[in-house]
Formats: sequence, C-alpha cells, structure tokens
Amino acid sequence: MNSMKRDKKDEEEGGGGGLFSSLDKTTVLQEARLFNETPVNPRKCTQILTKILYLLMQGEELGTREATDTFFAMTKLFQSKDIVLRRMVYLGIKELSTVAEDVIIVTSSLTKDMTGKEDLYRAAAIRALCSITDSSMLQSIERYMKQAIVDKSPSVSSAGLVSSLHLMASSGEIIRRWVNEAQEAANSDNMLVQYHAIGLLYAVRKTDRLAVIKLVSKYTSLAVRSPFATCMLIRIACRLMEDDPDNDSTYQDFLESCLRHKSEMVIYEAAHAIVNLKRTGARELSPAVSVLQLFCSSPKATLRFAAVRTLNKVAMRQPTAVTACNLDLENLISDSNRSVATLAITTLLKTGAESSIDR
Amino acid sequence: MDSALFEPSLYVVKGMVIMDNDGNRLLSKYYDKKTFPSVKEQKVFEKSLFQKTVRANSEIIMLDGLICLYRSNVDLFFYIMGSAQENELMLLSVLNCLYDSVSQILRKNVEKRTLLENLDVVMLAMDEICDGGIILEADANSVVERVALRTEDIPLGEQTVAQVLQSAKEQLKWSLLK
Repeated sequence: MNSMKRDKKDEEEGGGGGLFSSLDKTTVLQEARLFNETPVNPRKCTQILTKILYLLMQGEELGTREATDTFFAMTKLFQSKDIVLRRMVYLGIKELSTVAEDVIIVTSSLTKDMTGKEDLYRAAAIRALCSITDSSMLQSIERYMKQAIVDKSPSVSSAGLVSSLHLMASSGEIIRRWVNEAQEAANSDNMLVQYHAIGLLYAVRKTDRLAVIKLVSKYTSLAVRSPFATCMLIRIACRLMEDDPDNDSTYQDFLESCLRHKSEMVIYEAAHAIVNLKRTGARELSPAVSVLQLFCSSPKATLRFAAVRTLNKVAMRQPTAVTACNLDLENLISDSNRSVATLAITTLLKTGAESSIDR
Repeated sequence: MDSALFEPSLYVVKGMVIMDNDGNRLLSKYYDKKTFPSVKEQKVFEKSLFQKTVRANSEIIMLDGLICLYRSNVDLFFYIMGSAQENELMLLSVLNCLYDSVSQILRKNVEKRTLLENLDVVMLAMDEICDGGIILEADANSVVERVALRTEDIPLGEQTVAQVLQSAKEQLKWSLLK
C-alpha cells in the first residue's frame, strides 16, 4: 500500500497513529542524519521527512542552526529517484527556506528538475525554486520561468504563474517583462491556468487604468470559460466602476450577463457585486435580488448563508427591495445553520411587518 | 476604501486545517501572516473554532471576522478559512477539493488512523490545492494525479498478488455499497 504500512513490520513502532503521537524535536532531527547515508533509503527518509514537516505544522520552531543543518542534510536526498521522497524534499525546502541559511545551494538541483522530463517534478520544483529565489537570481532563471508559463502542462503553467505572482512584491520589474507569456496562458483551456493568468495580468497592470480597461474588455468579450477567471473579471470590472462612477454601461451589461452564468459561484459573485456597487439603482437591483432569493432555498448551507448575508446588506440600504423575499427568509429562521437563521431574522427585522410574526 | 466588494486578488485562502475529534491539530497551513502572526494566535483561533463547530453540523460559520467552512467525517474535521469579503462558494470549492482528494488518497477511509498512515501524500495534496493562499487546483482528480499515489506508480505486472487482490476487494466493496 504505502511506505508507512510496510514499515510496521521492520520497526517496533505501533500503528501509523503511534508514529506521530509523541514526537520529540531533538530525536527527529537526530534521525535526519540518516539522510547522509548512501544509497538513500527512500522509505525511511520519506518517513523522517514527514515527521519533520509534521512537527513544523504542529508549530515547533527550529533554530537557525537546526534548520540549516536539516536543510543541508535534506539536499543529499536529491540523489534519490523516488517520486514521493523528491516531492517531500520540495516541501521541506519551502518550509525551511524562511529559517535556514544559504538555501540557494539547491538552486541548480531545482533548476535541473524544473527543466527535466518528469512533469510531476517540474511544477513542484518551480514552486520550491521561487520560494528561495531573490531578484538577483531571478534573472538567471527568467528564461525557464517564461517557458514554464506557456508550458502545455497545466500544472507547470499554473506553478509558473502563481510563483510569479508571489514574486511580484520583491521583483515586480522583472515579472512585468513576462506579460506576453501570461497573455498566452490566459487563452488556455484549463480553468485554473486561465484564472491564474488573468490574476497575474491584473496584478502587473493594477496601477495603469487604461491597461486594466483593455484587459477587462478583451476577456469579457471572449466569454471566458473558467468560473474562477470570470469571478476575477467581475471583481476587476467592479473596481473600474467604483473608481469612475459615470462611465458607460458595458460593465453593467457584463454583470447582468453573469447572473445567467452556468456556475453558481459566478452568479453569486455577480449578484454580490451588483448589490454592493454604490451606483446600483432599484432597476439593476431587482434581477440580483431574485437570484439571491432562489439561492435561499438551496440545499447547500454555504449558498444559503452567502445569499442571506448579501440580502441582509441590501436590507440595510433598501428594505423595500428585499420585501419580496420575506417568505423565503421566514423559512430560514428555523435553518439548521445558526448563522443563516440569525442573518434571516436580522434581515426580517428590517423588512418584515406584523403579519409575519404569528407565522 | 470601505468596499464590501471582493478584492480582485488571487489570494483567497487564509488557512487550511485538519483536526481530530479532540480538537488537536493534525495538519495545518496558514497563508496570512497579518491575521495569524504566530502559532499562538493560530492555536487560540483553532480552539474556539473547534468548540463552535464540533457539535453543529452545518458547514459554514463566521468567526473573528473570518468565514470558516468545514466538513467532518468519523474523527476528522476539515476547515478552510477566508476573509469576510470572500466569495463563500470559492472557499467551498477548495474545501470540497481538499476533502475529496484526501478521501481518494485514503481510499475512502477518511479517519485519523489512515490519515496518519498516509500523512506524506496528504501533505503533498494540501500543497497542490493551495499555494501561499492562491487556489492552485480545485479538482480533486487532478490533485490526486499530481501527488502520484504510490500504487498507481507500479505497473500491474510488478504489483504483488496481495496488492492486486486488495485493490480488487476495495472495488468490489464499493460497488456493493453504492
């Protein structure tokens, strides 16, 4: 089945549960010396690495010295060809990169993995590499990053885009040079790649209003397939509308068309946007409210919560617009989710009348 | 800006936690240093989150200005946190992806013991779902593909008889339970 189970026989540890029940930092770091042995024993090393990561997740703090020693021991594991072990090493690099010193020592190993043949390594290697890179080193891997962004494997492309976004804060001017690649990725068929690409393009052009307008009009006319990306576009369009109250109604039409989208995520995003825009009048409000009204009777608690939370906002400003939903809201008073019930009651206090009290 | 509008940013997820039924943290990732500067705040938050959700089986709750979505099974609790301005359905897709990936990795035995036996692969899966607060993948099948489960790596010819029988048994069991 997997590494842990097979180890039951040759270790006197109890079951899998016992393995992690009482770990002690010093002992585990001692065990990490095993990383230096050749040939690497993938099963044992994966287990030790898992223990280290588990301790870090529990909130154990490693000192600089400890972290650096562990990190350097970990670099020895690059000799192994075991997929899970290699991937765990990437995780370890990411976790320790903030504490250990001289982490750039793994740059060449990671660069080799990100340009290698194994897709399963490439995406994860890119993300690990970008967690240890600074702007001076970014120049040297720029070529590979651009290639990764337009790679045909979605996981590699996403890894490139997301890592670029993380690096925006520290090396924005280098990332700005990659917009052509990001634009190409934005035409991808993969839902998430498209979302990441549009997110990166927006982050790069945030300050340039004209460029943002272009970005939105380009992708709204293309009818983007990815629900995530569509939500992103709705958010950007709203930002444009808020900054410039008297612009034309193209974005308004876009929002209303999103109310008829296939995906609930997008419909809710659009309804929420329309409700919260300062410029929304009663006429624009009514289709959004009726969509939210439908969501009130959804079997998904999350969707009911989202709908009633948004209706609550409308009721604060325009109680009359929500009156039509009173019956649906009354049904939610006895909802199994307490947050939903509470929100329904407070909304009704704004919109209800005496007639609903005895029901 | 006081905007209640969703911020156009890819940074959507504030945290992911898996706890056991005593409220002990098994796995966790926090992506927002502002909201949770240190382990101490995380633990305090987790404690109150667990108290509020352990008996209420309702999927979503607001706590300390964060939206928390959760799901539980046997003795495990899965949580996703996001800001109050976030689209709840986006967070829900992350939660479902996390739960379904873990469920596939543990071959539908979503419970603490099997989780601890497969801790390494579950860690990898969490890393594939969310990168620094950005949703990296929302489809559980893709996640499981990307973490490369060990048994799938072994071609049928090289698997031991016991392994083949085991997977056949599992499949039969599930076909009967459907």
